[in-house]
Amino acid sequence: MPRFSPRALITASLLLLALSVLILSQAGYLRPVEGLALRPLAALQGAIAPRLAALRDLASSPGDVATLRGRNAELEAEVARLQQEVITLREQAAEVDTLAALLNFARGAPQNRYVASRVIGSDTSPFLRALWIDAGTDDGLARGMPVVNQAGLVGRIIEVYPSASRLALITDPEEAVNVRLQDSRVDGVTSAQPNGELRIDLIDQDAEVVPGELVLTSGLGGNYPAQIPVGQVISVRRRDFEVFQQAVITPSVDFEDLEILLVVTSFAPLTTQPGP
Amino acid sequence: MGLLVLIPVSAFLVVLQTAVLPFFELLDGRADLVLLLVVAWALTGRLVQAMVLGLVAGLLLDLLSGVPLGVSALALIAAANVATLAQGRLWRAHQFAALGGVLLATGVYYAILGLAVLLIHPGTDLVFGLARVVLPATVLNLLLAIPAMQLAGSLERTLYPPKVAL
Repeated sequence: MPRFSPRALITASLLLLALSVLILSQAGYLRPVEGLALRPLAALQGAIAPRLAALRDLASSPGDVATLRGRNAELEAEVARLQQEVITLREQAAEVDTLAALLNFARGAPQNRYVASRVIGSDTSPFLRALWIDAGTDDGLARGMPVVNQAGLVGRIIEVYPSASRLALITDPEEAVNVRLQDSRVDGVTSAQPNGELRIDLIDQDAEVVPGELVLTSGLGGNYPAQIPVGQVISVRRRDFEVFQQAVITPSVDFEDLEILLVVTSFAPLTTQPGP
Repeated sequence: MGLLVLIPVSAFLVVLQTAVLPFFELLDGRADLVLLLVVAWALTGRLVQAMVLGLVAGLLLDLLSGVPLGVSALALIAAANVATLAQGRLWRAHQFAALGGVLLATGVYYAILGLAVLLIHPGTDLVFGLARVVLPATVLNLLLAIPAMQLAGSLERTLYPPKVAL
């Protein structure tokens, strides 16, 4: 009979024991024992795991903070980019609205030809009510051409260059527009006051002008085409000892919110100046 | 006496291995703390205790894994044997020489586990498992082998202080 070393015998015994456990387990005989043995082990696992996980989180938190800071910076940059995009889209939407309104206005007077131009600045002098637009002689613009938007009369071109023009608003003190009150059918001339108020002078004393009446260009004088809205009467000043009465009007155009304008290129203003 | 201390320690290591080590993986491989304890204890010269520890700790490991109960026990007993093939003499010659024992033990341990997995899931990609699990785990085991053996040596001297003849 061969002799085995104690080590070999113990090893073989333990291996045999493990193999027996394996077979019995696979046969399903150890399931109750497994459940019983697993209970304290699972309890130990349940007690230790959260504490170890907390320690692990504590150890890895500086890295997490750095990651979060980086992520936060990325998100802030993304928010800034999206805000910029929202602003751009809002601007485009407003521009589309303006262009649609201008198109409607142009369709209302199909006999006219228009050049659309963008306001690129206001006059540097605070005493002058004038604007710069991005169209000039290259676009067919000429001095004296009236400028309108969807709300009504804005002004007229007073200086023209190849790619830009300067226009005087009807609220400029130097400007005068021949107008007609729509209901009373009387004529007058606008005069802008230094405080920005727009008045109509030279209204016949006998005319019955009432607040709310619409004021249109009359076409007289040849500076502006007729039938362009200028404003609405808000008050009337009538004194018996004066030859004419006056009316204060509110312009139909919001001069603080001008972006895109139409220059009426088909209108040739009459001029008293000798030709070249 | 030794087993009374080592079995609770191995139970703690089993829990540690299932609860914490998944967060410290190299590729898909993890350090095998229980294997290191068994091998280190075997290398202190207490092979029988190491094998009994391997049996108990292996069963505990299998309770918390999908491997059939007993497979890890078989693997750990075999690993303890392989690690002490040269009766510890070769490994004790130099501290780093013991790394060879850990390397062999890890190989045998994973060979048995791999065989069992292959029997349960015949479609297992062994090459992928070797590259993603076994090799990284071997590297981690080798890294932890020296401290594990030093701890085991200290524990052994504490539990079994050398007799001094007066």
